[in-house]
Amino acid sequence: MKKRVVVTGIGVVSPMGIGVKNFWENLLDGKSGIKPIEGFDTSEYKSKLGAEILDFGPEEFIGKKGLRYLNSGTKFLSSATKMALSDSSFPENDEELFNQTGLIVGSSLGNFAETTDYFYDIIRKGPAELSPMKSYDVALNSSINHASVSFTTKAFARTISAGFTSSADAIGNAFNMIQDGRAKAVVAGGVEHLSIDLYMIFYLRNQLSVSNGGSVEASIPFDKRRNGFVLGEGSYLLLLEEYDHAKERGVPVYCEVVGYGTTLGANSTFTTDRKIKKAEAAMSLAVKDAGADLKDVHFISANANSSVELDMIEAKAIKNLFSCVDKSVPIVNAIKSSVGECYGAAGAAQTVGAAMSLKTGNIPPVINFQEEDPLCNLKLAVDGTAKHSGEFAMINSFDYLGNNSSLLLKKAE
Amino acid sequence: MSRVVVTGLGLVTALGSGVEKSWRGFLNGIDTASKVTLFDTSLYKTHYACEIKNFVDETGFGSDKQNNYVNKFVYSAVKEALDSCGLQDSHAYDRDRFGIALGTLAAEIVPFERLLKEDLSMKTNGFDANVVSVYPPNSITNYLSEVFDLTGPSMVSLNACSSGNHAISWAYDMISCGNADVMVVGGSETINITEYTHFHNVKALAPEKCRPFDKDRAGLLIGEGAGILILESLDFAIKRNADIYAELKGVGLSCDGFHMTAPHPEGEGAVNAMKDAMLTANLSVEDIDYISAHGTGTPLNDKSESLAIHTVFKERAKKIPCSSVKSMIGHSMGAASAIESVVSCLAIRNNVVPPTINFATIDPECEIDCVPNTAREVKVRNVINNSFAFGGNNAVLIFGEM
Repeated sequence: MKKRVVVTGIGVVSPMGIGVKNFWENLLDGKSGIKPIEGFDTSEYKSKLGAEILDFGPEEFIGKKGLRYLNSGTKFLSSATKMALSDSSFPENDEELFNQTGLIVGSSLGNFAETTDYFYDIIRKGPAELSPMKSYDVALNSSINHASVSFTTKAFARTISAGFTSSADAIGNAFNMIQDGRAKAVVAGGVEHLSIDLYMIFYLRNQLSVSNGGSVEASIPFDKRRNGFVLGEGSYLLLLEEYDHAKERGVPVYCEVVGYGTTLGANSTFTTDRKIKKAEAAMSLAVKDAGADLKDVHFISANANSSVELDMIEAKAIKNLFSCVDKSVPIVNAIKSSVGECYGAAGAAQTVGAAMSLKTGNIPPVINFQEEDPLCNLKLAVDGTAKHSGEFAMINSFDYLGNNSSLLLKKAE
Repeated sequence: MSRVVVTGLGLVTALGSGVEKSWRGFLNGIDTASKVTLFDTSLYKTHYACEIKNFVDETGFGSDKQNNYVNKFVYSAVKEALDSCGLQDSHAYDRDRFGIALGTLAAEIVPFERLLKEDLSMKTNGFDANVVSVYPPNSITNYLSEVFDLTGPSMVSLNACSSGNHAISWAYDMISCGNADVMVVGGSETINITEYTHFHNVKALAPEKCRPFDKDRAGLLIGEGAGILILESLDFAIKRNADIYAELKGVGLSCDGFHMTAPHPEGEGAVNAMKDAMLTANLSVEDIDYISAHGTGTPLNDKSESLAIHTVFKERAKKIPCSSVKSMIGHSMGAASAIESVVSCLAIRNNVVPPTINFATIDPECEIDCVPNTAREVKVRNVINNSFAFGGNNAVLIFGEM
């Protein structure tokens, strides 16, 4: 018998605020975390915008000790872990419980700049000149190691790198692990932090807004003027907990996690139709996994990141899938209009948003939306007044290389 | 819950490309360590590694474009594994039920290093498109999915030295939960300057030979290669009348939660992972006939692993053959545990276990039977394959006969 899984804690370090409360209020108010990039010099390049985290003080969450040896991503992740545990009133001295608590984090390009810096220094200065502390926090998964060591999540620690779906896959995996009785609780989500090195990966592929032309540099999902995404950063974590365990502890529950579906499409060779089919498949697998009915899904947190092709694929996939449902089509929002595309952490950011929508009944708006695209005509939440009283929320997380993952959340009882 | 079986294997190691050649090398106890030729090590204190030399690419793979996305080793191993089990024909089955999960430590960093080294000014003046073409790491799985038509669940596991086993355990869940029929799983790594330096600077590299469990062991040697397994649900394998190497019976995960680079001194996490694996496999210590050790050859790892084995196996600890193939092919990082998973299946199939070579002096702190220097014929019913990583990130698998 599979165990039920609920969300009892949330940790957020985001350009829209620190902590789930700030993040949610700003999101609902239709604020934007997107501004001209300050962290590195973009004067040579066409794309100037990013959703950066500025002035973040991790001391409040993880203390001062050893901070100077840690990268931003590690500070984000460990701080968000602390927040998620505190938010769920997780008994931090319960050793037995921590033996049954795991950590699964999605990261597509964690510590990328640190890795290239390290290589640069090896060649420029030679191995002997590198400080031993430089070896401490350079791998993609070293942030996760830091969090697992700091918080002694002894059941397991795992890093999943599946591109832009990494953190949705991390949450899906955590959900499965608890279902199967392999852990009582799992801190799951994603982490990424920005750097010029990382920016270049997407800029050189013409994926960022205006990098390949366009009338306006903006994150405008589903808008006809869209021309690429705007990068974001942060760490978004959810404490997933076995239902009975949470009940026993008597803690408040944000929502239940009920379904996960994932597929892989080879996007460089697939036809558009086949890509749409693969995206549909992820959504319907998640619904099937939950034993739910498509007609009961009334709200979707879209992947939509302002990419010309991927937004269209998602819109068509949603249309196709729900066209057979006679009830009203789902309301769709796209929080990347506010928080940017935080790639490996994006699915977790959306999951936090969707969990709050289920809890409060409010749906944050797709901001800056102006021009409808006939190729993406969905029922978009554009003015911040949209409400949701349905039982389910779906999260779509898609990757330009072809990974498609969907999660299904259910309102808490 | 579906049972999960292994029906295909693929290997590329410093001992040779292909399962046949590598396995023969393992049984003959061949040492592949030699001076590093891939890059200049004159500024380093140690100079040895286990490189794959004279790799013969028999797959027809190898244009420059492809090489930027994925190394030849993993391509070749995936092809061998799929071919060997009769699943190469992409039209025969519903490929949406076929997925891929691979482990790696540094992903496809080698072409990145090569290009950046040629023009170091790019680091400050801005990369060009070729340099970053290998990122993000899921380029590997997406490329292989395209070539071999694997369109089900996918992931890349970046869990340092236990990446391969993590990927396999993730795929195990996908099949046992019914999300996939077939998973191509394993790990892949190429020797690169970044990781060589990393291991060198944390003083983990051996001067010349890797001698796990020996009193005079002085560290690991890095290696490279790919190990691939085809996992299927038992029903699917039976239906298509597949040749079954072994069953993947148990998965044990744990985290030391102790230190960023050092293992827990008593191997607490390792103990938990081994116990967890036996619990899921519903096996006892009496049922295990071979331990494929993590056995890196570092003083700390081998000591804590030995202690952990004693804690779990008690009086049986000294009696179970427990060898480390890293003595022969080095520590191939993200690929290591996947290669050792292939070795585990071969040990079950052939009832013989590979040796730990370069063994000379017993270490009272490593009181285990490391199968010193010579392979041994022994009935192998079930194998525990240990893998541990920086951060105390442990993933242990149990393979067993059907």
